[in-house]
Amino acid sequence: MTSDLAETTKRVRSVPGQPDMWAFVLFETLVFTAYFGFYLFYRARSPELFLHAQAQLDLRIGVLNTLVLVLSSWSVARCVQSARAGAYGPALRDASLTALFAVVFLCVKVSEWVRLSSEGNGFDSNDFFTYYYFLTGIHFVHLLIGFVVLGVVVYQLRSPARRDQQLVETCATYWHTVDFLWVLIFALLYVVR
Amino acid sequence: MSAVITPAASVAAPPSRPLYRRIAWHWRHDPKRELWLAWWMLVVFYSLFWLMFFVITRVQPPPQPAADLAAQVHYFRVRHLGIPVGFAVIFCIGGMIATNNALIAYSMRRMSVSPAFAYSYLIMYSLSAIPGLLLLCIALIVGTLRPERDPEAISWLYDFAFLSFDGTMGVFLIGSLIWMLAILLDKNRVFPKWFGYLNLCNGLTEVVVAPCWIFRRGVLAWNGQIAWWLDMVVFGVYTGAFIYLLRSMILREDFGTGPLPELKPGRPDPKAAA
Amino acid sequence: MRFNKRLLVVWVILASLTLAYLWIDHTGADSSGALRSSALITPGVIVIALVKVRIIFREFMEVRQAPVLLCRLTDAWVVLIGVVLLSCYFIGVAIR
Repeated sequence: MTSDLAETTKRVRSVPGQPDMWAFVLFETLVFTAYFGFYLFYRARSPELFLHAQAQLDLRIGVLNTLVLVLSSWSVARCVQSARAGAYGPALRDASLTALFAVVFLCVKVSEWVRLSSEGNGFDSNDFFTYYYFLTGIHFVHLLIGFVVLGVVVYQLRSPARRDQQLVETCATYWHTVDFLWVLIFALLYVVR
Repeated sequence: MSAVITPAASVAAPPSRPLYRRIAWHWRHDPKRELWLAWWMLVVFYSLFWLMFFVITRVQPPPQPAADLAAQVHYFRVRHLGIPVGFAVIFCIGGMIATNNALIAYSMRRMSVSPAFAYSYLIMYSLSAIPGLLLLCIALIVGTLRPERDPEAISWLYDFAFLSFDGTMGVFLIGSLIWMLAILLDKNRVFPKWFGYLNLCNGLTEVVVAPCWIFRRGVLAWNGQIAWWLDMVVFGVYTGAFIYLLRSMILREDFGTGPLPELKPGRPDPKAAA
Repeated sequence: MRFNKRLLVVWVILASLTLAYLWIDHTGADSSGALRSSALITPGVIVIALVKVRIIFREFMEVRQAPVLLCRLTDAWVVLIGVVLLSCYFIGVAIR
């Protein structure tokens, strides 16, 4: 352990944010993995049906959404580092940037849903779209909760009386979870053949 | 310390044996006896609940929504004794739901947050027993009472029972969120924060059950792998966690208003032998 | 700031891996441009996604600087996800 300390940064190795949030992250990831597992299993059993339905999706929109959400992860990670260094102005700007990227993601996603539904590919049109709306829908709910979490970050950073670094890191951990879950959802819904 | 606690001078530690004398001592002198009573009722309730639903009546895991009329009639015929017997027990112990909810509300009253949390949870969960439990029991018992009933009517009861049980998750979702919020805002450390987040997990898996109103087959039907099986796994973990944590809370309870003291590892369990 | 540059580099890597999917999609289509099912592309796509997830864990979520237990745990999780997803896929293919 001591040799690690000497080799890496001068900071002591500590858990980023509350360990409790990490427990949540790992547990929620397991639940999502189960959802993904069912999807892949049923997909593998009727590949033609899923493939044909998947062709209705626009891969470029998915790529755009992924780039935007990973950008939001980048900005929130930067926010945590700025806050840690005491630069609360830049940290607040990064938090706002994160929210902005999230709004872009939201708008693109909703417009995609609207487009698909109007073309007849609704929630109950076929198995693939059931999974599509289900996975993107439950992810969307997590994203909405993410806005509340970002609100907590902004609330903490604004006043010198608060600025609990552990809480800011905890919130950032939640946000990154929303991001990496999307990375998996995108790969499974849009790219997998 | 609160004046409720009996002064130590007049009461010694509980006798180590025999067991009945120890229980009698706790019944008469333990300031936490009501809490322990409520906790044991919680354990008994869930044990009986599981037994009645899964073993005696065999209505869980739920049957297929896509079953035809003949299969649905057969479903009731096969359970013509199990359902009335099992649900008679459920109706008898149904009142325990009140003490369960009261214990959970008590945990919120012990927290540093507003009493509004405890009261809203209590009201919500008291009402939730109706769609979440009683409607299913009543509908299924009515179905078994007259086997010669019109199959269409039996089919109606079948759908009504399982949709009301599996589909009405809104009450439980909001209740979970209330408890989560109370735990995360609490400064008295009544529950660990991870349990607050587990409430969120539980709430989210319940949201996922809502599509069972639309689908009659597949993973999102009321018996589907996602809508039922996965939800049950998460619910099982959640229930086990809160039963354990409520016990821990009672052990740590000091009847004050500040942070709950942590359980010291070497300290003897007050319920165990001195 | 040194750390911020590192974060930007990480984003560029993640973005490149994401854009690589466009290339996979292009080469995976047959001559008429229609999609084809492939037992080679699917596992590849999943593995790339897991690489991205691990990068997010280690760089964005700062697991690199966390206690060793957390490093091991998140790595184990990535492996677990991979095992579950690939098993479900191949079992589904096998009992088609």
